[in-house]
Amino acid sequence: MNERMRMRIAVSADGPDLDARVGYRFGTSPYVIILDPTTMIFEAVPNPGAAGGRGAGMQATALAIGKEVDAVITGYCSPLAEKYLAGHGIVTLTGVDNTVRNAAQNYLEKRAKSDDGGVAPPRRHFVHTPAGAALIQATRGAARQFARLLPVLVGVVFLMGLFNTFVSRALLSTVFSGNVVMDALWGACIGSIVAGNPINSYIIGGELLAYGVSLYAVTALIIAWVNVGLVQLPAEIAALGRRFALMRTTASFFAAITIATITVTIFNAVAGASG
Amino acid sequence: MSKDTRRAKRGISLIYPRLIFPIAVGAVYAVLYIIFPEKALSAWAQSLNVLTNVAFPLCLVFVFMVLLNIALKPGHVGRLLGKKAGLRAATLATAAGIISAGPIYAWYPILRDLREKGASNSSLAIFLGNRAVKPFLLPVMISYFGWIYVLILTILTVLGSLAVGYVVEALDAHQKTS
Repeated sequence: MNERMRMRIAVSADGPDLDARVGYRFGTSPYVIILDPTTMIFEAVPNPGAAGGRGAGMQATALAIGKEVDAVITGYCSPLAEKYLAGHGIVTLTGVDNTVRNAAQNYLEKRAKSDDGGVAPPRRHFVHTPAGAALIQATRGAARQFARLLPVLVGVVFLMGLFNTFVSRALLSTVFSGNVVMDALWGACIGSIVAGNPINSYIIGGELLAYGVSLYAVTALIIAWVNVGLVQLPAEIAALGRRFALMRTTASFFAAITIATITVTIFNAVAGASG
Repeated sequence: MSKDTRRAKRGISLIYPRLIFPIAVGAVYAVLYIIFPEKALSAWAQSLNVLTNVAFPLCLVFVFMVLLNIALKPGHVGRLLGKKAGLRAATLATAAGIISAGPIYAWYPILRDLREKGASNSSLAIFLGNRAVKPFLLPVMISYFGWIYVLILTILTVLGSLAVGYVVEALDAHQKTS
């Protein structure tokens, strides 16, 4: 079959085969069946969001985008996930209550009627939108990202205000003694157990620096904040395997300390040379 | 219940978790104001000062986010990561990590899929390491630490991610042979 004519769809499913019922929720159904409805060749992928919880819908959405499907067939799909899918040129069909096989056949028949040729359109990754519409879409996306970021950021700023006022320098110096290696180690430890948007680590780091904590500690904290992330470790193990996740996390922890030490040493040398 | 009402309720339920933290901080302020009014007011004033200082860099962050949203889609990142190994793969994984955005848990399924298609462990580790480099957040970082520090840290973070990628690959190969 010509590569350009190949069609691929994702169907949420209650089981790993074509006779399973279409899953009611795209984000949390046990399986996502990726199949070519013309040949019925399929692959049953355990839904990464099946356990539910935070980000379940986005994990299933990422799976569909990663598999480069043309359409998603399901019972229910959140408007946000539908929007992300549409942004990648993926059609979403909801309200489907059937077996996966029948749902795929129905989809193929509908496509045949609407296309008048019975052939899927050439694969496309993105919907081409006019420049003005693209700008509006990008601005809305940025506004959403900003709205997610801002409440926590404001909370962090006000928490650091309390920290600066109520925590004494003497107390802080018991942890951050000024020893380069120990400071970097403590910084990396704190950065490893906290997670979230890196912008918060800059604010916390900046305030700690103003409070007399060494740049070694602050730098290690900033690096470990994103690179280590013990909070995310279970998700990384589930997705990429225990061995990879533990090796990467351990290597990243020591890398954070090393990079912090080298960064500050070079920075001090440059700052000293420039007076 | 109408469709609009359900959507509105869903929207509120998505917003609430993000507001819990700042509301909790506000509650701590309220309690401390009762016990230590002067210190609480001082902390409040300091925080407002910090917010004023980061306001302009945050505006730049917003502009950068818009530009990146126009220029990049997750599919671009996936294609950059799809290479199997070598210097070219490392370079592309670095670029993919730097331009990637959004919560990390949304990337894990894509990374797993890419590994199944042949992307190496080192490429995945390099990608994850370079997520620490956030071009659109640089204005805030520079406002706190200065551009010289940010430049040095950015270069070393990229080099460090390559080293972590190499170590992960070497350890993996060693464990497989032993």
